[in-house]
Amino acid sequence: MLRKRIIFTLIYENGFFNQSRNFRLQKVGGIDWLEKNYKFKEISIALDELVVLNVARGEKNMFEFSKTLEKIVEDVFIPISAGGGIRSIEDAELLFNSGADKIVINTILVEDNDLVTRLVKKFGSQSIVASVDYRCDEVFINNGTVKVDKNLEDHLENVELLGVGEIYLNSIDKDGTGFGYDLKTVAKVIEKIKAPLIIAGGAGNEAHLAQGLNIDCINAVATANLFNFIGDSLVKSRERLLNDRYSLAFWDIEAASELKNSLINKKL
Amino acid sequence: MNVVIIDYGMGNLRSIIGALKYLGVEKISVSNNTKKLREADKLILPGVGSFSMAMRNIKTLKLDQYLKYEVLEKKKPVLGICLGMQLMGKSSTEDELSFGLGFINSKVEMFPDMSIKVPHVGFNQVRVNKESILFDGIEDLSDFYFVHSYQMTSENDINQSLCEYGDNFIASYEVDNITGVQFHPELSQTNGLKLIKNFLDKF
Repeated sequence: MLRKRIIFTLIYENGFFNQSRNFRLQKVGGIDWLEKNYKFKEISIALDELVVLNVARGEKNMFEFSKTLEKIVEDVFIPISAGGGIRSIEDAELLFNSGADKIVINTILVEDNDLVTRLVKKFGSQSIVASVDYRCDEVFINNGTVKVDKNLEDHLENVELLGVGEIYLNSIDKDGTGFGYDLKTVAKVIEKIKAPLIIAGGAGNEAHLAQGLNIDCINAVATANLFNFIGDSLVKSRERLLNDRYSLAFWDIEAASELKNSLINKKL
Repeated sequence: MNVVIIDYGMGNLRSIIGALKYLGVEKISVSNNTKKLREADKLILPGVGSFSMAMRNIKTLKLDQYLKYEVLEKKKPVLGICLGMQLMGKSSTEDELSFGLGFINSKVEMFPDMSIKVPHVGFNQVRVNKESILFDGIEDLSDFYFVHSYQMTSENDINQSLCEYGDNFIASYEVDNITGVQFHPELSQTNGLKLIKNFLDKF
């Protein structure tokens, strides 16, 4: 049976990870802070997937972001999606070469459909995640700063036609609030969506994650809430949901230490 | 142990290298240099992206001839991952009909069930073949991370383990020294690390 996923999203801007609330950013700490407070390498052994988004406003420093990405993904054996500011095939390549398994695109879904088509062709649908930021029925690009002419349903329809592999649907109004997902809007558009769907924006506790997981057509629930899921609390939530028989993947976390260096000095 | 990850310009190799390092493999290289490939104890054929583009790259680098020699003649153990697993089969209808390396009698096609979401992405359970060596010590119905839009089937017995998404398709095969997995063991936590260890240890 295909399992559902719990995704941890990191919001990055010029050297800092952020708590975002309705797309307003609050600096929390740099990569050392992240490692110290979240013991990233340790908790990643208990997570399904990681998304890293560069949300710097204006011109983004792709190179600096790619260096940060390299540090984050070291020793982390879970799928990593990364994006923010991808405007060319080279930008995408830089992120793939820095450790991304998938790339996340948003603004070009409106501004450069030709590039999206080329990305899909070159890297395959399954490597492309379309991030869609919305408020009620309206869609926004450029980190939520520019409103798009199309409404949400029409935009999603176009995104599907472009052949992306997954949709990351993010509610601006719920973002960072901890009030729970915007399941009302999800229910309205779910019929339209044929690609695997990740919902984001609003999860503040385990019950919220469960509410998302309970909906058939939702494939994954994401949270970027550093405050509500401090330290290993997302891992603990996942563990409890797994014990409550939610359809999440299972692996033996304890086995990691036995496997480490188990082939060292192995002669053939 | 000397493991070479075959480089033909497709896909992110970070996690594969990371997993090999984690397991303690001393010598890991990413290469398409035939001398390096010849010196390898084990080969890993990775890959993400389009089948036809991958085969074009492989042929341009003349890796097809080399791989045939090392894998079929010299019986060097090889593990194909995701697209790499598909490439060792006969053909694929992705984009257009194209032919693979042909080590395994299989075909790659779209998921036949139109009601399911494509790509197939996420952890899914593998129905483990009891004869499998790759899955030695790994429980039946263990979870592995898949991300793919095309699936492999075969009319031959290639010691396959299966995964169900719509219909059953091949999650892994192992024929003598030739092994392949549709999922990404390097992104499948300890289940995947165990499988990579089995490949390195037992083939």
